[in-house]
Amino acid sequence: MNPTEIKSNILTTTLESAINWGRKNSFWPMPFGTACCGIEFMAVLAARTDLSRFGAEAIRFSPRQSDLLIVAGRISIKMMPVLIRIYEQMPEPKWVISMGACASSGGVFDTYSVIQGVDQFIPVDVYVPGCPPRPEGVVEGLMKLQDLVGEEKLSDYSPASDK
Amino acid sequence: MSPATITSQLKEKFPEAILDITEFADEKILHIKSQHILLVLTALKSAGYNFLADLTAIDNLTLGGFERFAVSYHLLCHETAERLTVKAYVSEEKPSLPSVESLWKTADWQEREVFDLYGIIFEEHPNLTRIMNPDDYEGYPLRKDYPRLGRKERDDFPVVNRGIRKKKPLE
Repeated sequence: MNPTEIKSNILTTTLESAINWGRKNSFWPMPFGTACCGIEFMAVLAARTDLSRFGAEAIRFSPRQSDLLIVAGRISIKMMPVLIRIYEQMPEPKWVISMGACASSGGVFDTYSVIQGVDQFIPVDVYVPGCPPRPEGVVEGLMKLQDLVGEEKLSDYSPASDK
Repeated sequence: MSPATITSQLKEKFPEAILDITEFADEKILHIKSQHILLVLTALKSAGYNFLADLTAIDNLTLGGFERFAVSYHLLCHETAERLTVKAYVSEEKPSLPSVESLWKTADWQEREVFDLYGIIFEEHPNLTRIMNPDDYEGYPLRKDYPRLGRKERDDFPVVNRGIRKKKPLE
C-alpha cells in the first residue's frame, strides 16, 4: 500500500469504543408486553417509526437470545417472579427499558396486586414516560440508551469483588 | 313462567328458605338463606331460568344486610328473556354454602373467583383453589376490611443481583 493511502484506509480506535459501537447499534430486544404498552410497542416496530433504523429490529421472544428487555405494561405480583426469571435468563451485557407509567411507577394502579415500579427489583436503564408513550417516545428512549451504552466501560462488567 | 308467579310458588315451596323478595328496576331479587341455595336454584332452573349469567359476591360490611356476605346469582331465561337475581346470605363466622357447579358448569370458575377474592367456601366444588392470585397468597383482597394497598405483598420480592459492579446510569 502506498503510504499516502494509509490515512484514508485505516481507522484507529479503542477496543472499548469499538465494542460499545457494536453493542449500541445492534440491540436484540425482548418485549415483555403485558398491557396496552405492548400494543403501542408494535407500532414502534411498524413502518412509521421503524425500530430497525436503530439496529434494534431483531425482536427475540427468547430471553437467551436478547440483550434489551423492554418492560411494557403493568406487572402484577403474580407476573413479577416471571419477569425476574426472564431477566436472569438474559446473558450479559443486558439493558432494560421501562416503558410507560405502569412499569416505571405502577401508574394509576396503586393497589395491593400491582408492582409500583419494576426498578425496585431489577435494574432499569431508561424510563420512558407516558400512558402509553408515543412511538417517538420509545425511539427517544432507545437513543438515550444508545448514548448510555456508548459511554460504558469494559470494567463495568467485571465481577463485584464484594458487596 | 313469569318472575311473579315463580317467586310466589317458591315462597310456598320453601317458606323457611326465603328471607325477602324485593324489586329493583323491574327485576325481582330473591333473598334466601345460603344452605337452601342448591334446592332453590334447581327449582328455578327447571322452571325455565336455564342460564347462569353471572355469579359474584358482595361484602355487606358497610352496607348492612341479612349477613356479612351475599353471593348473588344472576339468572336468565332464554325463552322469555326474563332475568332474576338470587342473593344467598353467608355469615362471617362460617362462610360456606353449597356449590352450584352441578347445575351450571360455568359456576366452576366463578365460584373459584369468589373463593379467591372473598374466602367463601363452596361445598362439593370439584377444585376449589385460587384462580387469579398466586397459590401461596394469604388473605382475601376484595373483603372490605382488607387494606387497599395490601399487606406488603407487592414489595416482597428479591432484588436481582447481577454479580457485577455497574454504576447506576443517569447520575
